[in-house]
Amino acid sequence: MPRTLAAFALLSLSLCCGSASAAPDRVEFTETTLKNGLRVQLAPDSTAPVIALHIAYDVGSKDERKGLTGFAHLFEHMMFKGSENVGDGEHFYQIFTSGGVMNGTTSPDMTNYYETLPANQLEMALFLEADRMRSLEITQEKLDNQRHAVQEERRLRIDNQPYGRSFERLGELLYDNFAYKHSTIGSMEDLNAASIEDVDEFFKTYYAPNNAVLSLVGDFEPDEAMRLIRKYFEPIPRQPEPPRVDLKEPQQTAERRETISDPLARLPHAFIVYKTVPGNTPDQYALEVLGSVLFGGDSSRLYQKLNKELELVAGIGGFVDERIGTGSLRISATMRPGREIKDMEAALYEEIERIQREPIAAWELEKAKNSTRYGYYSAIRGTQSRAMLLGAFTIKFNDPNLINTRMQKVEAVTAADVQRVARQYLRERNRTVLITMPAAAATAGL
Amino acid sequence: MTKNLKWIVYTAALVPLLCLGQTPAAPGQAEPESISQVELKGKVPVNPETLRVKLPRPQEAVLSNGLRVYLLEDRKLPTFAMYFVVKGGGLADPPDKRGVAMVTASLLREGTKERTSREIAEQLATLGSSMSASASPSSGESGISVSGLSDNLDATLAIVADVLRHPTFPQTELDKFKARFASQLQYQRSLPGFIAQEQFLSAIYGEHPGSLIVPPEDAIAALTSKDLAAYHARIYRPNNTFLLAHGDVSLKDLTAKLERALGGWEKGAIPDTKLPDLSPPTKARVFIVDRPGSVQTSLRIGALGIERKSEDYFAMVVTNHILGGGPASRLFMNLREDKGYTYGASSTFTGSTFPGFVAAVTDVRTEVTEGAMRELMKELERLAKEPVGKSELENAKRALVGRFALSLDSPQALLSNLATQKIYGFPDDYWDTYPQHIDAITAKDIQRVAQKYYAPDRLQFVAVGDAGAVREILEQYGTVASPSGSKE
Repeated sequence: MPRTLAAFALLSLSLCCGSASAAPDRVEFTETTLKNGLRVQLAPDSTAPVIALHIAYDVGSKDERKGLTGFAHLFEHMMFKGSENVGDGEHFYQIFTSGGVMNGTTSPDMTNYYETLPANQLEMALFLEADRMRSLEITQEKLDNQRHAVQEERRLRIDNQPYGRSFERLGELLYDNFAYKHSTIGSMEDLNAASIEDVDEFFKTYYAPNNAVLSLVGDFEPDEAMRLIRKYFEPIPRQPEPPRVDLKEPQQTAERRETISDPLARLPHAFIVYKTVPGNTPDQYALEVLGSVLFGGDSSRLYQKLNKELELVAGIGGFVDERIGTGSLRISATMRPGREIKDMEAALYEEIERIQREPIAAWELEKAKNSTRYGYYSAIRGTQSRAMLLGAFTIKFNDPNLINTRMQKVEAVTAADVQRVARQYLRERNRTVLITMPAAAATAGL
Repeated sequence: MTKNLKWIVYTAALVPLLCLGQTPAAPGQAEPESISQVELKGKVPVNPETLRVKLPRPQEAVLSNGLRVYLLEDRKLPTFAMYFVVKGGGLADPPDKRGVAMVTASLLREGTKERTSREIAEQLATLGSSMSASASPSSGESGISVSGLSDNLDATLAIVADVLRHPTFPQTELDKFKARFASQLQYQRSLPGFIAQEQFLSAIYGEHPGSLIVPPEDAIAALTSKDLAAYHARIYRPNNTFLLAHGDVSLKDLTAKLERALGGWEKGAIPDTKLPDLSPPTKARVFIVDRPGSVQTSLRIGALGIERKSEDYFAMVVTNHILGGGPASRLFMNLREDKGYTYGASSTFTGSTFPGFVAAVTDVRTEVTEGAMRELMKELERLAKEPVGKSELENAKRALVGRFALSLDSPQALLSNLATQKIYGFPDDYWDTYPQHIDAITAKDIQRVAQKYYAPDRLQFVAVGDAGAVREILEQYGTVASPSGSKE
């Protein structure tokens, strides 16, 4: 019988900042584990005639070994190339022909597959996902074909874009542990080296029901959906527990700094990145608020100071990268023509010192909390993103109910917390700076 | 704002680079299909029935000052979204003041009689509200989009009203904007997709504002605070504007709040916008932009298309869907799935009050440019020469009609459809009858549309990449012309 999480979910509601509105603002769901270990989450919602199915596999580029970088993502492409009862290309075809949308993505921590369809196509969605989980058809020809597609993806996103290589180099410079040190897209050499045996082994190891989470959201009848899920997924055999990679990252002891040149760039650029903490930890939530103060929109300190007032940068933004393992607070600054990186850095560090010295303003804390609330509502509005959040929180932090509790974790952050994490993590010895300078080829024409 | 490098996620299918919102707007990624290279095993339990849905009709009201309000009330979550559509975007720019619509919109938030730029930014952010305004040089409207928590609707509206009604366009802020804009443009012009699109539009539209993604730099440099104030006074009038709203509010409450905030906004004489003349190219031309360091060729192949109200519209929707509407379309299946030339290949079309364009788009590694061109041209020719097969056509229609169900899950898609209906003056049942129009399209219609708009002698070819390596390949498709801005 489904183990209900609704009771637990209700408990935490009392902690929530009561909105004056009567609109429900939480996601009710149930979770069941099938005999073969597949975790199944159902969140029925009949407000739109749509279903979203999301399958998350507990594997990402962090699980790749040396010599096989890019493999998790290459494998994700193979999942669209057919299985015992689904032809090559048929997955795309059936979903789009029925008016649905779909995709698959690979990140360092997770690989996911999802489709959103008119509600009367629920059985099709389940059939398509189950068939490829059970019986992927792997051939040399298909592998070679998708190797090309992935290599083109690499060219499109990295090799042919200004600063494309910088993204990749940043990971290499920032991390010591190979799991996060190498890029998800992988190297051309490793992509060329991937063999059909590798594909086969990867499938058996990681694409097992006991290594996956199925989340279904939308307009369905729960008993009928559960019956279909059992019918299609339960016969898929369990596999031995996959090996887990050690994500432990050694303490950084000194600033890391490197300058690379980029023939496609026109303006100098810098990544300034501070190593932080593993995700879903109290400090993570304080870091999210810190991020909002530093680079959340045009009211943020960095935009106001470095872009608007000092006119040093053409653009400045940031991102608090949350991972299963050690994450980071990342700042990305594109310089204005003729401005110096060192002046930008000096101004940036002054802003950081100010946050370490003086508590943030009350309005800044309120901004972070209100924008978190708004962002949360936006994230749970669509069936697809609701399914995605359930699956991702389960894979990454083994807690699907984070979909309902995360907002309160941000609500609990105080100005003192923000100051504390700023002091603790935004330190020089914890910093990685990657500077990209335009190479002569691109600037010659200006 | 904080325009910057995007963080990358790797995905199985590429969202078309020229995502210009064909209707019906559907949320999510890409769409369509084709039957050409797909292997169908006949085992998948597909429900043959297309779920026919009715899109919600908005509640309507008119404020005392003439502002029309359309509301999709939705109590699911305590949020709201509003979209003000002001008629007169870049198309209303006087020819000697190109860019005035865009810069006016960009400067709205940079200071009012009551608030400085910084105060506006901080006050909105504190509420958890967002407000942005934009007008592209080729758009017929300026758009102001506002969203936030419904608890903070009143406080947000007070700021929005101030920004809409009393912007002061401070000279210092204008100077700062110009410098910011120029430096951001440098970044954009290092992106192959941006370069290719600028070149392609310039090839299709020449001097017409349809050619502009951004206004000419010298035109922006010449704009004064007075120009913006004059444009604002002329165009930003309640009787020249309508408001689309969605969310956790009743029409009665919303109207009362709007009357309070915007009731004093004065009507004005509605200006006529005269569309500039359009003289499309009369022969096939090739534009090659050398981009040192490129490892791919970014290709755009297309021609002048149709207006949004064209009688060819529905035939074009189906044609585009079959040719390159998504990961199961002919272009994708051929160039990516069969040949492995590219990560994505797609087609697109646009169209507003003036004719849009049709285009096939792909980025391929330099070495396979020749093969990619051959296959692209083969697919265009096939569409014009051979009638589309029965099942391919039927399935395209199923896909296009089936997508409506998904729009009910996306306020953005519903608002976008509503905007289209109001902007072009379509009847209230426009989206209800849309499926019938799609159903009526025949294989002959598709062939006719393909022959007409993708005729080889009107195609413009743009290639951005290693010019030395691709010049000979491209030359055979048309007269080689100098790219615009080729001083670079």
